[in-house]
Amino acid sequence: MPDPITINVDGRDVQVQPGMQLIEALRGPAKTDTPAFCYHPDLTVAGNCRICLVETEGPRGWALGISCHMKTAPGLKVRTQVTSEKIVKLRKGVMEFLLVNHPLDCPICDKAGECTLQEHYMGQGRHESRLEDEVGKQYKGGADHRFTDSKGEARGGKKIDLGSTIVLDQERCIVCSRCVRFMDEVAQSPQLAIAARGDHAYITTFPGKPLEHDYDLNVTDICPVGALTGKHFRFQQRVWMLKSVESIDPSDSLGANLTIEYNVGQVNGKVWRLMPRRNPAVNKSWISNASRMLYQDLAKDRLTDGVVNGQDVPLAEALSAATAALTGAKRLAIVASGHLTTEDNAALLELATKFGTKAEVFGGSWLPVGQPDGIARSGDPVANRKALQVLGVPDNLDALVARAGEFDAILIAGNDLWAADAAKAEALTKIPVRVVLSSWINATTAKATIAVGVRAWAEVRGTMINCQGRVQVLNACPVVPNPDLEAVWQVVNQVGQLGWTTESQAWKAAAARAPQLQGITYRAIGPMGQMIAETAAPAAVGV
Amino acid sequence: MAKVVPRPHLSLWENLYVVEIFKGLMTTWGHVQKNVTTGAFETRNYPEEAPSLPRDYRARHRLMKRPDGSPRCVACFMCSTACPARCINIVAEEADRADIEKRPATFEIDLLLCVFCGFCVEACPCDAIRMDTTIGVMVHDNRRDFIITKDKLLDWAPADYPATDTQSQKAPGGTLNAQALAEFNAGSRH
Ligand code: SF4
Ligand code: SF4
Ligand code: SF4
Repeated sequence: MPDPITINVDGRDVQVQPGMQLIEALRGPAKTDTPAFCYHPDLTVAGNCRICLVETEGPRGWALGISCHMKTAPGLKVRTQVTSEKIVKLRKGVMEFLLVNHPLDCPICDKAGECTLQEHYMGQGRHESRLEDEVGKQYKGGADHRFTDSKGEARGGKKIDLGSTIVLDQERCIVCSRCVRFMDEVAQSPQLAIAARGDHAYITTFPGKPLEHDYDLNVTDICPVGALTGKHFRFQQRVWMLKSVESIDPSDSLGANLTIEYNVGQVNGKVWRLMPRRNPAVNKSWISNASRMLYQDLAKDRLTDGVVNGQDVPLAEALSAATAALTGAKRLAIVASGHLTTEDNAALLELATKFGTKAEVFGGSWLPVGQPDGIARSGDPVANRKALQVLGVPDNLDALVARAGEFDAILIAGNDLWAADAAKAEALTKIPVRVVLSSWINATTAKATIAVGVRAWAEVRGTMINCQGRVQVLNACPVVPNPDLEAVWQVVNQVGQLGWTTESQAWKAAAARAPQLQGITYRAIGPMGQMIAETAAPAAVGV
Repeated sequence: MAKVVPRPHLSLWENLYVVEIFKGLMTTWGHVQKNVTTGAFETRNYPEEAPSLPRDYRARHRLMKRPDGSPRCVACFMCSTACPARCINIVAEEADRADIEKRPATFEIDLLLCVFCGFCVEACPCDAIRMDTTIGVMVHDNRRDFIITKDKLLDWAPADYPATDTQSQKAPGGTLNAQALAEFNAGSRH
């Protein structure tokens, strides 16, 4: 990192990095709130909304400029809304222009509550209106706001089906071009464009073409207003009713950072959506549509109880049957899983140690590994593969299949072997006692003699190590299909009488097995994750 | 900032309690005298006989109707957000008209939780919920029936409301319905 330089903001000297965007310097080191609609830290600068303007001193005195487009340089002098009345007045003017063409939709707009336009109106808007009803256009979907474009298509509409995932409200759009830039620069698939000019400018796809991309729902997050909304969340909940916890994408080894948004309560208790969480070193501000939709599985086909020999039984009964079967086994195969947290795997390893020579640990996955897409997925569906390597779990499922005859019991945790490769997995039916710990009813629980329901990824606290070697934390969201469900490590803890009470004990047990993890605590990992010792230099994003 | 409300200061005489009790009983006795001699106070067999409540009494809720009979409610959740008792449960859905986007699929108020504060009425941006039914007594034989549904909230007749209540008279069956319906179909949303 280059040496910091000094700039002067509102008469205060502030240390900043040279050549950074001035808006970032203001928001960061200078601690001066600076509004923006079109500026986004992970997109190129467009400079079209003008709300971030500040005064800087140049050769011809103080001049106005937009802080998103200026870079910090030694000796730069800046006046913001704190000391300049002019800036306050100009921002009010910009807000007034933006709101002239904005419908009063907030009560039915899904963005309300997390809308940049609302926030900046409250922060720097002009709170007395100078518009008279009869002079302005008639909003609320009024006919006057619609027009016919040069190709004869109706424009300015409120509910335009853009593609399979997104609805566009052209009336709410403030033409910031964030969505266009996202599709061009990040998705690298230019599918959106701004057509026409002035107050007739509108966002559109190419004629007759829908908006379709694996990452297209990210435009609904970066749209500063409610112009682009995802069909999956449309009219579902008001955002202020949601609580959130920080977690990561459990379906890919990059572990894109996300938040789980849910609410609790008898009537509406549910996980409603997953939102990307910015981590510049991992997924920037993006998550794929596939990762975003994972929440839908949390309430679908869940194994909420136990199954013993094809009969549904309460959890406690299934657990005691599993304990008896596993302790009574003469030769036990334990399959660790890269779909589970490091803590869960540490518990499985601890169980094997406890059982001594009769138990043997296997690991790995038959799922095909794809290519990184360069945005927020590495292509490897085994999210915690790195932790298995760090903990020294062998990648030897094929050996397990070859030697299946040696065992009289097998414990499969969080690994749908039959779905990954039913032909190979079929050999495992030779083992008479098959205990499966699973969150979902799936092909593997169908083959189990004893199946015990466990909590899914969103319902446990734990860690995963991503493909860059970054330890990241999953936090538990309290929405659980059955409150008696427990995490895999808790179930294993009871089977093996490990005497653990918290997940941090499981984490310490993992650290005892892997020197790279020593000294790392949950608190130290933090929301951005922490690199483990070995792999000091992080690999480039998504590579 | 919390507002500090000073406690009323009581004199020694008032603190003695017994004296104040007798002062209170004197008021009661005065009323008895007045009623026996003049019959000034009306006695009602509550709850068998319903009290007559004024329109601005915060009674059971109703949902207002558009001229075509659909609820005015746009499922914005402002009422359930404002509700201190958290007793309004709404499920929103896509409306079937191009010019109306959102409507309630279900709208339920748990009247056993409701504290009849009227915040929901204040919060509503479209005059869609009111508490002017003058239904102050609700009798049901199980708890589930106290959760009032959208259908029941919409079950009222304009004839039961004053002619000056224009919003009610615009609903189907009201005196202003014909004209309001014509305006509604022509695109007015007011
Ligand atoms: S749709 Fe949203 S993101 Fe796209 S230009 Fe309009 S306001 Fe900006
Ligand atoms: S009257 Fe008060 S408590 Fe009752 S539903 Fe309305 S807001 Fe809630
Ligand atoms: S505030 Fe009014 S419009 Fe909004 S949900 Fe409640 S009743 Fe419906």
